[in-house]
Amino acid sequence: MTRKQRRLTIIGGAGAVLAAALALIMVALNDQIVFFQSPTDIAQEAVPHGQRIRLGGLVEAGTIERHENATVYFRVTDTENTVTVTYTGILPDLFREGQGVVTEGVIRPDGVFEADTVLAKHDENYIPVEVAEALKDKGHWQGEAQ
Amino acid sequence: MIVEIGHYALVLTFALTLIQSVVPVYGAIKEDERLMAIASPVSMAMFLLVLLSFIALTYAYLASDFSVQNVWENSHSAKPLIYKITGVWGNHEGSLLLWVLILVFFGALVGFFGANLPAPLRAATLGVQGWVTAGFVLFMLATSNPFNRIPNAPMEGNDLNPLLQDIGLAIHPPLLYIGYVGFSITFSFAVAALILGRIDAAWARWVRPWTLLAWCFLTLGISMGSYWAYYELGWGGWWFWDPVENASFMPWLAGTAMLHSAIVMEKRDALKVWTVLLAIFTFSLSLLGTFLVRSGVLTSVHAFAVDPARGVFILVLLCLFIGGSLSLYAWRAPLLKQGGLFAPMSREGALVFNNLFLTAATVAVLVGTLYPLALDAVTGEKISVGPPFFNLTFGPLMIPLLMAVPYGPILAWKRGDLLAATQRLYAAFGLAILFTLVTFWMWGMDRVLAPLGVGLAVWVMAGSIAEIVTRVKVAEIGFGRGFARLKGLPGSAWGTATAHFGIGVTVLGIVTSTAFQDEKVLTMAPGDTVDVSGYALTFDGLAPSRGANYVEDVGHFTVRKGGVVIAELEPSKRLYTARQFPTTEAGIHTLVLSQIYVSLGEPRDNGSIDVRAYYKPLITLIWIGTLFMALGAVFSMADRRLRVGAPKPAARRDRTDGAAPAPAE
Amino acid sequence: MLWILIAAMTAAAALSILLPLSRRHGAGEGVPKVAADEAVYREQLDEVERDLDRCLIDPPAAEAARTEIARRLLAANERRKSGSGKPGSPIGVRVGKVIAIVALPVFTLGLYMVLGSPGMPDQPLAARLAEPPDGQSVEELVARVERHLAQNPQDGQGWAVIAPVLMRMGDPQGAARAYANAVRLLGPTPERVTDMGEAMTMANDGIISASARAAFEQAVELDPAAVKPRFFLALALGQEGRTEDAIAAWQSLLDGANPDALWVPAALDELAKLGGDMPEFADQLSGPTQEQVEAASNMAPEDQASMIAGMVQGLADRLSSEGGSPDEWIRLMRAYSVLGDSSKGRQAYESAVLAYGDQPADLAKINAAARELGLGES
Repeated sequence: MTRKQRRLTIIGGAGAVLAAALALIMVALNDQIVFFQSPTDIAQEAVPHGQRIRLGGLVEAGTIERHENATVYFRVTDTENTVTVTYTGILPDLFREGQGVVTEGVIRPDGVFEADTVLAKHDENYIPVEVAEALKDKGHWQGEAQ
Repeated sequence: MIVEIGHYALVLTFALTLIQSVVPVYGAIKEDERLMAIASPVSMAMFLLVLLSFIALTYAYLASDFSVQNVWENSHSAKPLIYKITGVWGNHEGSLLLWVLILVFFGALVGFFGANLPAPLRAATLGVQGWVTAGFVLFMLATSNPFNRIPNAPMEGNDLNPLLQDIGLAIHPPLLYIGYVGFSITFSFAVAALILGRIDAAWARWVRPWTLLAWCFLTLGISMGSYWAYYELGWGGWWFWDPVENASFMPWLAGTAMLHSAIVMEKRDALKVWTVLLAIFTFSLSLLGTFLVRSGVLTSVHAFAVDPARGVFILVLLCLFIGGSLSLYAWRAPLLKQGGLFAPMSREGALVFNNLFLTAATVAVLVGTLYPLALDAVTGEKISVGPPFFNLTFGPLMIPLLMAVPYGPILAWKRGDLLAATQRLYAAFGLAILFTLVTFWMWGMDRVLAPLGVGLAVWVMAGSIAEIVTRVKVAEIGFGRGFARLKGLPGSAWGTATAHFGIGVTVLGIVTSTAFQDEKVLTMAPGDTVDVSGYALTFDGLAPSRGANYVEDVGHFTVRKGGVVIAELEPSKRLYTARQFPTTEAGIHTLVLSQIYVSLGEPRDNGSIDVRAYYKPLITLIWIGTLFMALGAVFSMADRRLRVGAPKPAARRDRTDGAAPAPAE
Repeated sequence: MLWILIAAMTAAAALSILLPLSRRHGAGEGVPKVAADEAVYREQLDEVERDLDRCLIDPPAAEAARTEIARRLLAANERRKSGSGKPGSPIGVRVGKVIAIVALPVFTLGLYMVLGSPGMPDQPLAARLAEPPDGQSVEELVARVERHLAQNPQDGQGWAVIAPVLMRMGDPQGAARAYANAVRLLGPTPERVTDMGEAMTMANDGIISASARAAFEQAVELDPAAVKPRFFLALALGQEGRTEDAIAAWQSLLDGANPDALWVPAALDELAKLGGDMPEFADQLSGPTQEQVEAASNMAPEDQASMIAGMVQGLADRLSSEGGSPDEWIRLMRAYSVLGDSSKGRQAYESAVLAYGDQPADLAKINAAARELGLGES
């Protein structure tokens, strides 16, 4: 191989790898990101069934029902609309009634949100930011000082 | 008074950094020997001063001096002694002080051991290190001063966050910081080379041990953080692709690339410009990591508004360092002479291959980490980028890289022979195939990818052993002489083999624990038994218990195999009473390399409880592998040849004296 | 002492600059300059030999490598001979010295005077606690007892003593914890359990939580005639929105109660709010009578506290829902500041200002009272 050929091989190979990596990233960004939605978004049918989303809001007081085999039902509200959520597994330590929560999963055809992840951050005063903002939009959140 | 001494020392350090930033660099450009000469003594003075500062703050913590705002906010007189000490860096201000302490410590090491470096390079490097230090000390003094006082000192401190009272978490940040800050030295070397417009051969030899040192600690730090999340958070996961984790993982990836490109540079005088760029990138990613974690931007771009001074300041610093160094690079890099041609199929080629894939992987992680932040800042739309994104981008990039790992050390420099290399790897290849088939046979066809993953891991492990074995040609010269040769192999060869072996071990742990784990989530009443991968887990009941500062409900579990009791597990739900803070303590039993992991959910009224039980086969290999990697770095650092100008074989005895290159005399 | 150390540190820092600047040129500094490069190349040559020895590379490759390295070695050697360091211009050195002697101390001291608190001594907790108790504030005394309790958490009497103090200091959370420990160690008595419930309620901004409720229920179980826990239980029913039950509870509580008892006005207030039928004696009451106050001073301190708390609560509720005269607002502000709850006092003050902001005479009166009570002017 001549000098030039060598250089071309290396540059060509590098270009191919980078192009492949870029393609992967683009595909993944199209398919694998999860949008944050509030119960109102869902009520307005803005979310197709079966698409993975993050649902955030407050756990409505008195709606936590525990079923067999570590399955739990609860309702998530943004004070205007509510969505029933079901989750099988161990809830985070700081999951409580009236507290902010973020869940990730899909909406079943019957309208129940089936979560495979439930997040409540490790801070007692924590309201997930997304939730705080969604609530702020609704005019129900009084700011950090409270 | 001690506190005020510490404060003054910090202010004095700031003044020195300003001088250090200007005078030696000017001296280096003008080749003025006396101006250059101040760099080393000043670097040592700065270290002593910051050390004094750090001791003063530690004293304030130990004495529970609540007239210091930082102590009042982050400590409590009832904290156990060890957590009073670790509390020093368990908060924003203190952790910055630790950051700066490590920064000036490394600067002092360069000053102390750098007598055999070309004087302009040393002066310019320390000068650039001075810029970085100046930026961070100014940041502390302006927005995050740990020595602020409160006129009427309260009688009790504020913080007893139980989650932070954990030894793993206490050691984790210093390890990460040593890693991050270690890369600052390579950054300073790179920028110094750009300023001087020249890269000496000594440059690569100096950069490599620093990279190794930083990389070693970063590896350990990431590994420790991952293990902490695994046993403390109670979710059974060990890596979440969480932005905080990514923040430390990106410099690791870039640092790994730099580690390899520095070899090419040292041996073959090639890839100079690229290595300099990598050095800039790696430290920039470290800064970005610090920024992401420290600014609060991760919880939300809007958290910026909570403390705009801090966020904006650190953003400006970031732009200055990254933008400045990249502009300098664009301007000066063409001056650096390129050298060393090589064929695509050669050791250099393999290392370029490595760099290519590692860089692409870094970019993938960077995009996944920053994209949600950018989207939120620009459009206000909230998205999350979770594991699926990273599995789809990072995963495929790693596969060709891992397949190529065994070839790297075996190919010859300049012009390699792929066929000959393959012949030396026959045994490794055979082993990999064998393990793949055995896994297929054991688990059937329903998990096609897993056996291939096992095969890949075995290929990497066996390949690294093959490299050592064929290097000394045990097969040809017999075991006795082979052993003697083994001992004579340079440290870097052992380092390469050990670290590569560690990669294989970690991959094996990841593949087996992910693909073959058994997870059971259920509600158990006392007396219930559940089968987890052949282990019978019996719930004996829940009993309340009381610790020093918490109450807990302890679940008692018995693990039996074939009717024989092999372990008792006691996972618990804890409530730290002072702050009414609940935590989950997982119950973990290690069986050689695998683990049974049980964590508890909410107890029900009838005495039953939600339980999540896992069998995680070979999971400990994930962390054992990282220990091998770190050990590999230590072997490599111990290589006598890394010490610039160290005299010839006579000095071989002091092989073990570690990271720092010895002085010439 | 501080200034001596500061001077010493500054001097040391200045010396780290002055010493190298005043060193004679060529004192062992410039020698290795480029020699480091040559050492690296020599070492690489050796390595080629070693690799050849071990048959890791073939002889032609070794030869090629040797030539390449030798070329670099020569270049490095050339570089070293051509250039060597200059002694440096005297101006640069002089400027450096001025910086070290003048600019460094001036800049550092100036910045420190802005940022630091040189007059403030260290205040380690142990030393502060060891000071004689006479001059100490209540806060310090409490800290002392709390420290003692942290080391002897089984001292039930200690918890029992500190609990009401904490309550009065406006730390209901701490009080609740202390009461809980006292109950755990000394056993439940109706009073103690009731006080615990009360502290929990105060800590919860007046909302009676499930655990506080359990405490009151336990107290009633221990002493069915106790008034205070029943008072709170009735309050709890009202908070839960069980109006009927709450009215019944209030009525049974008031039924047969001494109309002069101190909690009665607050109870009547609650009852009125819920819209229940008033008992006959209600009309005669407006505020505590002279007798009531005297009775109060004969009561056990805990009962006093609860009485006052109940009354204040009643007054606050009424003022916030129906408004009141400036004097009533001032009474509320005074009550809070006597109870040591200055934040609530300030709130009351602010509400009063809002209510009477357009009536200068009343406002002046309210402001004067606030100044006197130390609640500040907004």
